[in-house]
Amino acid sequence: MQEKEIRTIKDLSREEFLTKGHGACPGCGVAVAVKNIARVLGKNTIIYVPASCLIVFTALYPSSAFKWPFLYTAFENTGAVISGIKAALERRGKQGVTVVGMAGDGGTFDIGLQALSGAAERNDDVLYVCLDNEAYMNTGIQRSGATPFGAWTTTSPVGKKIQGKREFKKDLDAIVAAHGVPYMATLSIAHPNDFVRKVQKAKITNGFRFLHVLCPCVPGWRSEASKTVAIARLAVETGMWTLYEIDHGVEKLTYKPRELVPVKEYLQLQGRFRHMGEDDIEKLQNWICEKWRNQFYEEVPVPPCKLEKVKKELILDEDPLHGP
Amino acid sequence: MYEIRFHGRGGQGAVMAAQALAEAAVLEGYFAQAFPYFGAERRGAPVRAFARIDKEKIRVKSQVYEPDILVVLDESLLEIDPVGEGLKPSGKAVINTTKMPEEIDLGVEVECGTVDATGIALESIKAPIVNTAILGALARVFDVISLESILNAIMNRFGEKLGHQSGVMNAEAARIAYLRTKIGRCSARRQLAKTKVWLPAWYEIPPGNALPQHAIEGVLIGPGSMVQNYTGTWRTQTPHYTKDKCIRCLRCWFSCPEGCIERMEDDYERWDYRYCKGCGICAQVCPVNAIEMIRGVHEWQ
Ligand SMILES: Cc1ncc(C[n+]2csc(CCOP(=O)(O)OP(=O)(O)O)c2C)c(N)n1
Ligand code: SF4
Ligand code: SF4
Ligand code: SF4
Repeated sequence: MQEKEIRTIKDLSREEFLTKGHGACPGCGVAVAVKNIARVLGKNTIIYVPASCLIVFTALYPSSAFKWPFLYTAFENTGAVISGIKAALERRGKQGVTVVGMAGDGGTFDIGLQALSGAAERNDDVLYVCLDNEAYMNTGIQRSGATPFGAWTTTSPVGKKIQGKREFKKDLDAIVAAHGVPYMATLSIAHPNDFVRKVQKAKITNGFRFLHVLCPCVPGWRSEASKTVAIARLAVETGMWTLYEIDHGVEKLTYKPRELVPVKEYLQLQGRFRHMGEDDIEKLQNWICEKWRNQFYEEVPVPPCKLEKVKKELILDEDPLHGP
Repeated sequence: MYEIRFHGRGGQGAVMAAQALAEAAVLEGYFAQAFPYFGAERRGAPVRAFARIDKEKIRVKSQVYEPDILVVLDESLLEIDPVGEGLKPSGKAVINTTKMPEEIDLGVEVECGTVDATGIALESIKAPIVNTAILGALARVFDVISLESILNAIMNRFGEKLGHQSGVMNAEAARIAYLRTKIGRCSARRQLAKTKVWLPAWYEIPPGNALPQHAIEGVLIGPGSMVQNYTGTWRTQTPHYTKDKCIRCLRCWFSCPEGCIERMEDDYERWDYRYCKGCGICAQVCPVNAIEMIRGVHEWQ
């Protein structure tokens, strides 16, 4: 039976594959993302989840909230294990099964990067989903490569000398894209139709697919449970999160904010940024403006970007030994 | 040896309360230990924490199954957890409630102190974090540890973590609670149901740990088995749906983390309150205000 193509949320299945009764915090963004990815992927799916909130709130032996076969081994192995599951299925002649790995940002940006890279480079026929809540939440909010500039975590604390994380978020999507994978996309739970369309594309594409979802986390972001989706939307409107996809080498921005909302509005809703001073906010804003220029090839209208319009100079050789 | 068991919800500070009590005991020259029960649950879920106090070194490391003192930080837990389980008839209980001790049914009749810790916390620390107020009440009921030591422990623990001013405010909450605690005896009308779990013996574990969808003695295991976990008991507010206003955009259905909004054949919605954690996202995303959050635990339809 040919399954219906999913273009909007109206096309989603009424059947649930992540069942009720899981133990996530009220208002968990990861739960919203996973539940809807599951609705698109449907019945013939096998899932692997490494150490993270997701495994703890959905699968404590002997119970599980997934209706799919569920596997678990170690934190750093997502890419390798899903490749292995796919290889085993192929050996047994089983076709039409989606093998999906869902890892946190810690398990993807940092600790699982090598296995992710290996699977992407081999172009194994698997789907890798990164559930990005911007810190190691399961072990009590430690900074990861995905944590944004300025954010408080237990390992990027706020004190007299240092105020939250000093480094900017790692551009993991660029790293994955550099592997030349058949399909990759960034997702937001506040843009449902865009969300399901991309998951559907990832489902039907052959080879390595990568989906990156921004998942607001109530205790980790120190936000209100009811604001999870509103914060996800503001992330896109302020340029903290960009919605795009790369389909067989063709890059496409799938949503462009009409105008860039000052990042302050996004920061205000989250306790993890409460301490941020004007200097740091400006630094973050400039980072966004730079990103915007690179993505949209255009300057940002004056507020929020106060940056003077510097023309990027082409520097051929910056090696101090060779002089300017 | 005194064994103390705390029942609270994730985020209420049961773990900190157990630690502060242990610290108070150490200040009085006792040996003490405190530790939480690590479950999978997150914020809002029922949690437990334990403390032991003794004149001698404590070598037991297990959870507390038969407490001498029971501390309940959230009254609603009485309805969902068998909190009174194992409580010694010679034991004592401290409950956060606006009720009198006689109105509380623990399933075991013991001496009981009740206090409106939530009200006191809102008054003195301006947040519904009840752990310090409940410690003040505990000092009234459990006379082994003096109020003095409890206050010192609070100042140390909270002051160090959150600053001196916060230490002072939290100690104040404890002091007020100590004065306002009502002492009496609670009743034992309810039947304490044993919670059922299936934990396999080694020979029952299938190769590779792969469990098929299955039920053992009425307990579900394997894929999809978490449906037996009624997380609706976590909520403190409840969404109310007005069908007439609904434009069937499905945003609430898409955005609910629990999957407890059911999408009907005609795309109108129906709520499965057994699982709704009351996060309020559905009301936030509804473009036509067809959903309203109402305080308290309710069920409609
Ligand atoms: C090799 C290894 N190191 C550390 C841990 C402990 N650990 C378990 S979950 C976790 C955090 C996971 O963070 P992330 O991947 O971002 O997922 P989240 O919990 O935020 O969803 C850590 C550090 C582990 N299980 N294995
Ligand atoms: S800690 Fe964050 S990611 Fe983990 S369950 Fe809670 S809300 Fe979800
Ligand atoms: S409040 Fe709404 S969104 Fe939250 S769990 Fe309940 S039904 Fe779902
Ligand atoms: S969000 Fe509001 S209008 Fe849309 S389906 Fe839900 S209740 Fe109806």
